[in-house]
Amino acid sequence: MRRWLLPLLFGLAVAGIAYEAALIATPRVLMAAAVRRVSALGGVNVFRATPLATASARTIVRPSPDLAYSSCVFDLTEGPVTIEVAPVPAPYWSLSVFDARTDVAFVRNNRGSGGGPIRIAVANPGQDVPPGIETVRVEGARGIALIRILVEDRARFAAIDAARRESRCGRLR
Amino acid sequence: MRPWARYALCGLGGLALGVGGAVMSVRAGAFGAGATIGPWTTGTDYGTAGASAYTRAVVALRGLLALPAREARYYNAAVDDAGRPLDGRCRYAVRGGEPGGAWWSLTLYDHDGYLVANPAGVYSVESAAVPPAERSAWTVAVAPGRQGGHWLPSGGIDRFELTLRVYLPADGGHGNLPRAALPRIERLGCP
Repeated sequence: MRRWLLPLLFGLAVAGIAYEAALIATPRVLMAAAVRRVSALGGVNVFRATPLATASARTIVRPSPDLAYSSCVFDLTEGPVTIEVAPVPAPYWSLSVFDARTDVAFVRNNRGSGGGPIRIAVANPGQDVPPGIETVRVEGARGIALIRILVEDRARFAAIDAARRESRCGRLR
Repeated sequence: MRPWARYALCGLGGLALGVGGAVMSVRAGAFGAGATIGPWTTGTDYGTAGASAYTRAVVALRGLLALPAREARYYNAAVDDAGRPLDGRCRYAVRGGEPGGAWWSLTLYDHDGYLVANPAGVYSVESAAVPPAERSAWTVAVAPGRQGGHWLPSGGIDRFELTLRVYLPADGGHGNLPRAALPRIERLGCP
């Protein structure tokens, strides 16, 4: 039995390290899966305007049925990406940018923008962005930019839907 | 058995135990397990680099792309006021008031965090749907079959959860709402 003591202690140490490593890896793994699901529907560096969520929505957990979402999977492998959000006729809208680890790198809503459009560049550290463009630096090549728009009345959705399609996500040129 | 074989066996066992344990604990974790207030759980560190590895893992599973606290606060309930799991076959009265924010919504999800199919196509009740006279004391009926007043269909599923979102919280998202400001969840009856 004594011959098993050290191997068992070794096994316990491995269990502890594996537990922490699995926890640390979980956000990246789940974010990568979400990036794959979203980009499979609309590609990368382009906003995809999703319909209002219903029971058949399976792309993202806990979708809010009161919000209209537009999502853009950005890929910085070939350079920075610009995101332009057009104002929409709704009491609340916001842009949030999530990096590969699921951290929020940027959030601004219509109050913060004074009701006007939002224009930012998303870049990795070290990537060149021309001066004059507000720049959000993120770790990792891929992430998700998400526009949320409050739809208080589904009857007004058509006007909101038309306005939100003016938003742009694409390679910085 | 040779010594290396004992180490290999225990090492593999430890690996399985560690990864399996992490998967199980994350799957068992509630969205917003930072604080428990009555039946509600919440947290303020979603989407922030300061969150613990465990919180980040649970949020990534249960609420990926959640907003930070200053933009929205999320309160989640998987049990009623008496601590019993929320059962989609039962009838509930959810009673609340003004939670302090630009607007709020109450949404019903299944345990995996997806909206629950129902013939009425109703998934949430939001503050704009509550007339001004009711805003300080509103009641939402949660039940599988149609109810009068504000109704949130539970689809008759085994287990459901409620998420209260408070957007642009009045205190900038720094503090949790006290018990009295969060809705009460009373089970009225089960078949």
